[in-house]
Amino acid sequence: MASQSIQSLELREQDASVREYIGKTLVTLVHGLTLPPPEAHLSLSVKRRANSTSCIINPITGALEASPRVETTRTYSWPAKTAYEEWKFSMTCTYTALLYSLTCLYSGHSSNSGYLGPGHSDGTAHLQKVNRDIYYIDPGFFRAQYVVDGVIDDLAYTIGVDREALSVDTLIPRIENADEIEISRVRWVLVIEKEAVFHRLARAAYHTRATAGEGLLVTGKGYPDLSTRLFLRKLFDLASNRIVPLRFYALTDGDPHGIAIMSTYKYGSAAHLHENARLSIPRLQWLGLRVSDIIAVPEVLGDKALLSLTGRDRKKIISMLYNSPVWASDGPELQWRVELQRMLFLNAKAEIEILYECSGGLEGWIERRMFRQE
Amino acid sequence: MAPAIQGGKDYLYSPSENVIASLQPEVAALSRWHGAPPKGIGLEANLLAQSKQYLNWGSAENAHPMDIFSLAVTDKQTLTAGGSPDIKIHSTADADFPLIQSIDNAHNVGCHHIVTDGKGSRAISSGFDGKIKAWMCQDGYWAAEQKLTADLEAAKAWAIALSEDGQYLAGVNQEGRIKVWDLAADATQIRDHETKGSYGTCIDLSADGRFIATGHADGSVYIFTTETGRMPFSLAGLVKNVRTVAFSPAGKILAAAGDTRVIVLYDTASGEQIASFTGHTAWIMSLSWSSTGEYLLSSGFDGKIKVWSMQTKTCVATLSETDKAVWSVKWLPKTGKTEAFATVGENCSIAFYCEATG
Repeated sequence: MASQSIQSLELREQDASVREYIGKTLVTLVHGLTLPPPEAHLSLSVKRRANSTSCIINPITGALEASPRVETTRTYSWPAKTAYEEWKFSMTCTYTALLYSLTCLYSGHSSNSGYLGPGHSDGTAHLQKVNRDIYYIDPGFFRAQYVVDGVIDDLAYTIGVDREALSVDTLIPRIENADEIEISRVRWVLVIEKEAVFHRLARAAYHTRATAGEGLLVTGKGYPDLSTRLFLRKLFDLASNRIVPLRFYALTDGDPHGIAIMSTYKYGSAAHLHENARLSIPRLQWLGLRVSDIIAVPEVLGDKALLSLTGRDRKKIISMLYNSPVWASDGPELQWRVELQRMLFLNAKAEIEILYECSGGLEGWIERRMFRQE
Repeated sequence: MAPAIQGGKDYLYSPSENVIASLQPEVAALSRWHGAPPKGIGLEANLLAQSKQYLNWGSAENAHPMDIFSLAVTDKQTLTAGGSPDIKIHSTADADFPLIQSIDNAHNVGCHHIVTDGKGSRAISSGFDGKIKAWMCQDGYWAAEQKLTADLEAAKAWAIALSEDGQYLAGVNQEGRIKVWDLAADATQIRDHETKGSYGTCIDLSADGRFIATGHADGSVYIFTTETGRMPFSLAGLVKNVRTVAFSPAGKILAAAGDTRVIVLYDTASGEQIASFTGHTAWIMSLSWSSTGEYLLSSGFDGKIKVWSMQTKTCVATLSETDKAVWSVKWLPKTGKTEAFATVGENCSIAFYCEATG
């Protein structure tokens, strides 16, 4: 198909720019090593990603994006002035070298194949499998998974490619542009914060039995990774021309993290401002859980169903209210803002599992709530 | 025995003749409400002999774009604050309850408490970010008290109460500590009482300034004597979260309520529990005493508002115009012969009710 081959070419271009960047960087570094010590200034520059404290909701994409700013770069040199800089330098080098060895391994394979089908047979797909485990190559060196993630984000942003071109994990099947997804029978998509809740609904086959028709259950196990968001966005785009709209609902805990997770799906994350526009789900509806849902039916659930906020919860809520345009008083989600404030005001939060106990159980509650939202 | 309080009108035990007389319908009291008689809308008429009727006197619809968490009143105004950053001031001298001032960006992340002194010359507001701000009123217009606000920078409290004369601010924080600041002396902290560490959800100062009471998440209720800084006795608290405490006008009774859905009355001279009012079926969020101490007003998470007679110890009126939470209720200072009150909450509006007479 013609459209497929165009998409494939675009994908190849991304890979090409990755290879080009890695090649250039390593050549420069190796060249630096050949010079006598006084002249050898080894350095790596990465573009600075936008700071999360200066972001806006883009009215066109409906996503959380960086506010307009001057682009700056950060340079790590060796020998370095500080231990931290030295560590960042060597980490970025190590990662770049790993990428290099992997692209070499697979470039021959994928260049022989003119078709990048859904079989994930290209080099990038293999990279992902390895990159997932990079942290475990040397946990002491990388210190934490988020450090690896940070390096990947910096490099992707510097090269100008999507993060998935360098890394991904595989909770959700990775969607290639050429993959076809058949969703004509799907009426709704329920995005679930918790894996346990997802399994409960899946075991009950709720996605086939709902009054609202056939649906899809998706979980990102807490804060979603980029491939989960990409998958959902793909569904969103595919259904954008349908006459009967595909409904997207979020089911999260009634606590600050639940609201933040829902916001990550709908608007994007502060860590990936440059990626949010193509990953956000502007029509995501808030199914629950609200603290008031639980207080309103005390005779069924009892006051014990509610938990008090911890000191960390309170800090989290205050920083959310302070820092993000999503919850601003002139922002797009006044109901989310006020729900966060009610949590503080009532000193209460609620977990989804509470709904197991309500009349009709979790499914009954979802049925009623979906009906109300339509 | 606590010193006798001058002019006390709390109906603690047996009501006097005066009380009964004062409950008789007042003739022509409605003339106060600017011509048009108020409409009775959606009131659940209580058919008991001693029931009273409160009529919808008007409202400031959607006064705020989000929940109104707190309400303070002066002789002629209401001050409201909540999820939006602004404090709104509405006039109660006019039956249309017009907006007369909006203090924009008072608390960027929202405000959960606002209190005024007895004269209506000073207000203190407390934001979700923990910032406490001071405001003063001149000729009906409110302005920031910059210096006092700066002095209060270090003051940390969740619930706050201001003394009648506006000189002392009392607050209780998340660790259950109760503090008092002297606003006439650069907001110097003059008291620091420790409790058992349970989250302090509500606080009140008696009008005569002698007592501070606090309610806590674990159900405990404390009374401190301001003069000595001591707890004269320990109170048998409620079993669950206390959300509101209020001293009667003469300071003889403390009312406390919350998640147990029961209002408990304590004698402040002995600490004994003297009565309890049951009838609410949801969390009780707010309590307010009428200026004479004859009536106690309460509001619930389910939107129900109740008026309790201290004389009969019964609920004399139940209003259920909304099913949205009513976060705060306050009697208005009695300027005419009829009692009136204001309510705010989840429906973003300020509603006013007045007593039906004749």
